[in-house]
Amino acid sequence: MKLNRRIVTGAVALLLLCSSAWAQGVIKVGIVGPRTGAAAATGQAFDEGIKLATEYVNSKGGVLGKKLEVVFEDTAAVDKAASGFERLVTRDMVVMVLGESQSSSALAEIEVANRLKIPFVVAEAWADDITAKNYPYVFRAGPSNSGVVSQSIAKWVQFEKFKKVFIIAENTDWGIGIGKLTENAMAKAGVQFESMITERNSQDHYVELTKIKAYKPDAILAYIYGVGLHYFVAQAGETGVSPKAVILDGAGPPSLWPDYWKNVGDYGNLECFASSMHEKVELTDLAKYFRESYVKTFGKAPTDYKSRSIFDAILIAADAINRAKSTDPTKLIDALEKTNLKTTRGMAKFGMEKGSPRYHQWDPPMLVIQWQKKQQVVLYPPEAATGKLMR
Amino acid sequence: MFAISLMNGLVMGVIYALAALGVSLVVGIMNVVNFAHGELYILAGYFSYLFASALGVNFVLAMVIAVGLVFFLGLLIEYLLIRPTYGNDMYSLILTFILSIVLQNAYLLIFGPYPNKPPLWVQGATDVFGLFLYGNQRLAALAAGAALIAVIFVIIKKTWFGRIIRAASQDREMAELNGVNTTRLNMLSFGLGCALAAAAGVILAPVFPVTPTAGVPVALTAFVVVVLGGMGSLWGCVVGGLTLGLVENFGAAFISSGYKNVFGFMILILVLLVRPSGLFGRAKI
Repeated sequence: MKLNRRIVTGAVALLLLCSSAWAQGVIKVGIVGPRTGAAAATGQAFDEGIKLATEYVNSKGGVLGKKLEVVFEDTAAVDKAASGFERLVTRDMVVMVLGESQSSSALAEIEVANRLKIPFVVAEAWADDITAKNYPYVFRAGPSNSGVVSQSIAKWVQFEKFKKVFIIAENTDWGIGIGKLTENAMAKAGVQFESMITERNSQDHYVELTKIKAYKPDAILAYIYGVGLHYFVAQAGETGVSPKAVILDGAGPPSLWPDYWKNVGDYGNLECFASSMHEKVELTDLAKYFRESYVKTFGKAPTDYKSRSIFDAILIAADAINRAKSTDPTKLIDALEKTNLKTTRGMAKFGMEKGSPRYHQWDPPMLVIQWQKKQQVVLYPPEAATGKLMR
Repeated sequence: MFAISLMNGLVMGVIYALAALGVSLVVGIMNVVNFAHGELYILAGYFSYLFASALGVNFVLAMVIAVGLVFFLGLLIEYLLIRPTYGNDMYSLILTFILSIVLQNAYLLIFGPYPNKPPLWVQGATDVFGLFLYGNQRLAALAAGAALIAVIFVIIKKTWFGRIIRAASQDREMAELNGVNTTRLNMLSFGLGCALAAAAGVILAPVFPVTPTAGVPVALTAFVVVVLGGMGSLWGCVVGGLTLGLVENFGAAFISSGYKNVFGFMILILVLLVRPSGLFGRAKI
């Protein structure tokens, strides 16, 4: 009986060893993000970025002499987020998890990362609380609400000398958080403002736009993600709110989606949006490489900047694994904290300021861009500007 | 603010009523809750987009083809999925729920995650009595929706087919005893219910672009309207739809736009507390 047990145990161990990622000569990192549901466009952008990044990393020798492999877990619904994250760690044995674009999901996932002691580099979920909790295993290589507001949106409002703005934010962790931060920034800057929360899934904004119109703002700071942004822009045009009031899409990608113009028609002209990517302006040579590879691989120009965000996150992860010379989580944390890597969006370096959202946070530079006759014109920052605001 | 809330409430109410009519028809005759109702609405939106925008077919013809295709798909769904489950309402409910998930994922694979919309019938906006600007496409959708609802009422109340539908929904066995082929009636009614979802889809897709998951809130609203108005009642759909549209818009205007969807559920709970069978529902003895 004892012999049989030993044989079985040995066979299981051998099987596990043979089937492990290590034995196959690969090191796995997990990606979390919405592949289905209302934010599935982000999943597509992530898929594109993952393909380019893994090819890039593996063409440069991979990680620790092995191939880098990515496992993508769909976390479209918040209730799937934590379990999806846990599956990546326990079932797929990934050494690090990257990605996410929905703040509500990321807030659930950071708790799992902290519990399982697995490094998590958030790419595109903006809520400040993600890094404000100062969890040692949580990093963010992407925009944060406070970074976007203080570094781009508030400064742009002052730069354009807007006197009155209207803030409209969707009722999500991201929307409510960035809306509140914008209110504070406007109050600090002495800009008159009014604000409103809108239902995330609302298709109809006529009543809200009537309220906005009555306020007569110079600009509307709209924190609405996805197709909701298209509804808002089109209906703002129909109700005559824009272009008298300039709309700023505070998230960015929906203004760049392939069907943006079809959905909003001419009302899309003169709309502004925050973005870390411009169709012509490139910050680094790696950004140029990314654009060329993207066009070559997918036969179209990149639009959703989230493909580039996940590309950068994978490069940061690969760099940390190589510098750590190990997949031990503690060593990876140490390596991530010492990151100083050129990415498509500039030099990535994480903040170490404890007690604030800047801890383990890298904010890539954001641009404020305006659609002018279907051309992207950079308005802010002034050093990158390619034109002036048109109204 | 009052004027725009009233106008928008009426427009959204007609839209809600139209989306709910198909659900009500199928519930009333077959006692089947079609969870894939929203996905069939979306499918018609995609079809009209595909024919009108991608293939350049005239938009009216594109809408007719889209509704026709969804009608035939409805017949097929009834034949393959619903018919074998008669006698057990739970099976049809689970099957249509699974169908809705399958369709959502199929749309994602075929059409991608980005929103799509067929061309507008009319461009621009109209100044309504000097009070506010209102999108012409919405006004056109309102007119088309109201006309379609009127046509459905005429069919149900004035035609031989309508009489059969009403008879079967009131007493199925008695209708059978009088020679009504209820199996065929079920099939036609289900197809008609799907076609109504499709009609709502093609009318509204130019206003609200379709995405793979956009059918979920449509179906949810339709179910709320049907329960509010009373299961199986067509008048209930119209009154329920208008009530929901007006409550949401006045709530958003005078209380908070962040709780727009909550107002609808609040009014639903209130109505059900007073009249558990809905506004026009028949109380079961």
